[in-house]
Amino acid sequence: MVDVGEITTLLTDIVGPDRVTDRDFDLIPYSRDLSPAKQKLPSHVVMPETREEIQSILQIANDIDVPVYVRGGGTSHWDAFLPQVAGPSIMLDLGRMNKVLDINERDLVVTVQPNCTWAKLDHALRNRGLTYLCSEAGGPAMTVGGSVMKAGGGPHSTAKFGFHGNQDVITLEMVLPNGDIVETGSAAWPSAGKFERQCLGPDLAGMFIGAEGILGICTELTLRIRPAVDISERMTAILPKLDDVIEFGHFINRHVGDEFLQGIYLWVDPTAPDVFFLMMDIFGYEDKIIAHRKKLIVDKIKELGGEIGDRAPADDYYGRILTGLTDLFKAGVWHFFGSGSLRIDDIPFLYKVWKEEVIEKRGYTKAGFGGQVLPRRWLAFMVTNYKEPEEWNELVKMCDEIDEIVLNGPVVPYGIGGRDGLRQFVAARDTGYYRLLKTLKRTLDPKNILQRGIFIPEEEF
Amino acid sequence: MRIEEYKDMIYACGRCNLCHGTDFDERCPELFTQYWESSTLRGRIAIARGILEGKLDYSEQMAERIFGCFMCGRCQEECKKAADISTVEITKAMRADFVDRGIKIPEAGSKMVDTVLESGNIFADSPAVHAKWAEDLEFKRDAKTLFYPGCLASHRFKEKTRILVETMQAAGYELNFLGDKQRCCGTPYWITGRVSAAKDTAKTFVNMLVEMGIDEVITPCPSCFRALDEEYPKLLGTEMPFRVRHTSEILRDIVEKKKLKFRVSIDKKVTYHDPCEIGRLREIYDPARKVLGALPGVELIEMKRNREEAFCCGGGGGVKIMYEDHSNKVAKERIGDFIETNADLLTTICPACEMNLTHGTYAANIEARVIDVAELVAVAAGIVDKEILETDYFPDD
Repeated sequence: MVDVGEITTLLTDIVGPDRVTDRDFDLIPYSRDLSPAKQKLPSHVVMPETREEIQSILQIANDIDVPVYVRGGGTSHWDAFLPQVAGPSIMLDLGRMNKVLDINERDLVVTVQPNCTWAKLDHALRNRGLTYLCSEAGGPAMTVGGSVMKAGGGPHSTAKFGFHGNQDVITLEMVLPNGDIVETGSAAWPSAGKFERQCLGPDLAGMFIGAEGILGICTELTLRIRPAVDISERMTAILPKLDDVIEFGHFINRHVGDEFLQGIYLWVDPTAPDVFFLMMDIFGYEDKIIAHRKKLIVDKIKELGGEIGDRAPADDYYGRILTGLTDLFKAGVWHFFGSGSLRIDDIPFLYKVWKEEVIEKRGYTKAGFGGQVLPRRWLAFMVTNYKEPEEWNELVKMCDEIDEIVLNGPVVPYGIGGRDGLRQFVAARDTGYYRLLKTLKRTLDPKNILQRGIFIPEEEF
Repeated sequence: MRIEEYKDMIYACGRCNLCHGTDFDERCPELFTQYWESSTLRGRIAIARGILEGKLDYSEQMAERIFGCFMCGRCQEECKKAADISTVEITKAMRADFVDRGIKIPEAGSKMVDTVLESGNIFADSPAVHAKWAEDLEFKRDAKTLFYPGCLASHRFKEKTRILVETMQAAGYELNFLGDKQRCCGTPYWITGRVSAAKDTAKTFVNMLVEMGIDEVITPCPSCFRALDEEYPKLLGTEMPFRVRHTSEILRDIVEKKKLKFRVSIDKKVTYHDPCEIGRLREIYDPARKVLGALPGVELIEMKRNREEAFCCGGGGGVKIMYEDHSNKVAKERIGDFIETNADLLTTICPACEMNLTHGTYAANIEARVIDVAELVAVAAGIVDKEILETDYFPDD
């Protein structure tokens, strides 16, 4: 096996000595993400600045059979971007690939490097009266590339356009595990531009979105953008029953849920498990449209026996989650569990697991329950703050048990990750989808160089 | 280990990366100069946690990450919103652990401490040279308000310091001065981890002031201000028997209480650099702006990064001494913010910032003067000639 010093030399030849490190104190900050996943250290961190450098790194990684892992903002919630192997591994820190490359105001698309943050992009767009549609829940440091590679979602989305990790991606530039460069959508045609997602043949962007980097490293993304919306309305409501929330969700998706309604967020606090609190953001280009949508919402809430409330709690919540993370870790660090995508009508299943298994049976009263009902389904979760290190083991044990129950129901896991994530649940089902994914992985990455152990366990490869 | 004291903070890090910034390195000057995650607050917390858990140990190679922190508090400003972790305190504790464990710290840092121990100031000035700026100024030996300029204002900015004192005296302040007895406040000790030397300095200094009957200390140096107002009480475990004020507050009082008449129009577009140590670390943002707003002919244009979001000048945390290239790179970047404003003058109210930003103008190859807010007050009040604001003016010092 190649030793650490040789790898350092090879990487230094590619990027120079200032952007390679094998020093323990430089490695340890790359050993955790936001999840309770166990600490896992790479043997090297390298900071590429170009796709050509990434190509070269992947080529030598193949030559010496050392896996490569990718890190964006380091804010993954499920062990998706941490090394999974005991021996040498190379972590790519994409921090320096963070530019807004082009804002095309005619075609309404923006091209960015993967480590451009949503906040940076938003700032650049708003300077020109533009915006992207949807927002991530990971805070201002969340990167565009990281979001898209995990098919990220957040409180803002619409029935019509979904999340940015879906229809808003126009083209991707990916470096494949063998070093080949692939452009998707209209960019696949060498003499065309970046203007359409579904072009030429199969939608290859969709193959990479949500693959958690196992099929390629994203080096450039082009996204759909829109004129900024200056008019917004924030509302809250309390509904008496979960069934009412379901009806309201259907109503929103059928009658109100176009681009003018960007968020419907359910929150159930563990201190009041039968109070269904909704937070809603409406954005629009004209006052009369906002007023019309608001009236529809207010009327429906009243018809369902609910009450429209003060917007202050929503300001606080969105403030904490989206813009400031105020006091977020006061009660301990954060963990999402029992989360996934499910039909609007199936939310009682997940709620029941939370209420009966987490709150009542296990007496764990710190975890809340929530979800987003746009676009046309729930992305729901349980979330808690816990104290490290003393509550770590107990929390992980409970979360594993809850995940097992949840994923045996009508819930598709959101975020797969590595050995401390959900990959064992995917492998255990041995579906055609999973077999195809493995086939793709083996074809594109015969030596299992890229993100080894993420999504697909090493022994399954 | 001293970081044990901060265990709760260290384990409170949720690894959210808010400290890092939205544009890779637009917030943190250490990340701007050293790139690695280990240069961020999140990274430093991971290192501290690794040390606490026995997975990592301090090493000479690690020194650049720990001693290369500018202690500007930009990351902790963001972390206030999440876990309220104090980078400055944890970094100080880590530096002290280096010293306690006998691990070599950057040589320039050690030399700076030796110089202070031998000469009483960071420039190895003799007492007479160090107090030379005060020649011909009249201080009141029985005044209970002490003017304490600190090393940089005494050695490097003699003319600015004279102008400041003349301005305060013209406004009616009766000031005492230590003269040949002046010694460094001790900041070099705690920024290099020499806690025991810091304690001795604090004790001696406080005793001297008590003997003189001082009930207030006024200083233009944010480091000295924080030393006397924050560090001494912590080191000695007691409240100080005197009040400490930074000159930004004095100048604001002069303006608000109309202690001087401003007859001379400045006729300049001016921007203001917030010193980290009175800005983020003490939330003193408004006094200098109020002063500037009160001076005739001053048009204040803010830099894009201002107040809580101000970028460090590069002079903090001892980095100027220990890693001068990093310091100059940061200063040059901050000068870029100044250039973007198209202002005529870059003002601030900290001798360290004034020095480093001046060096930044050299690095950026522009001709510009970095002016203390007090100099503008003095010009507006007719105490000094307007020529000191001109780019081609060379002060006597």
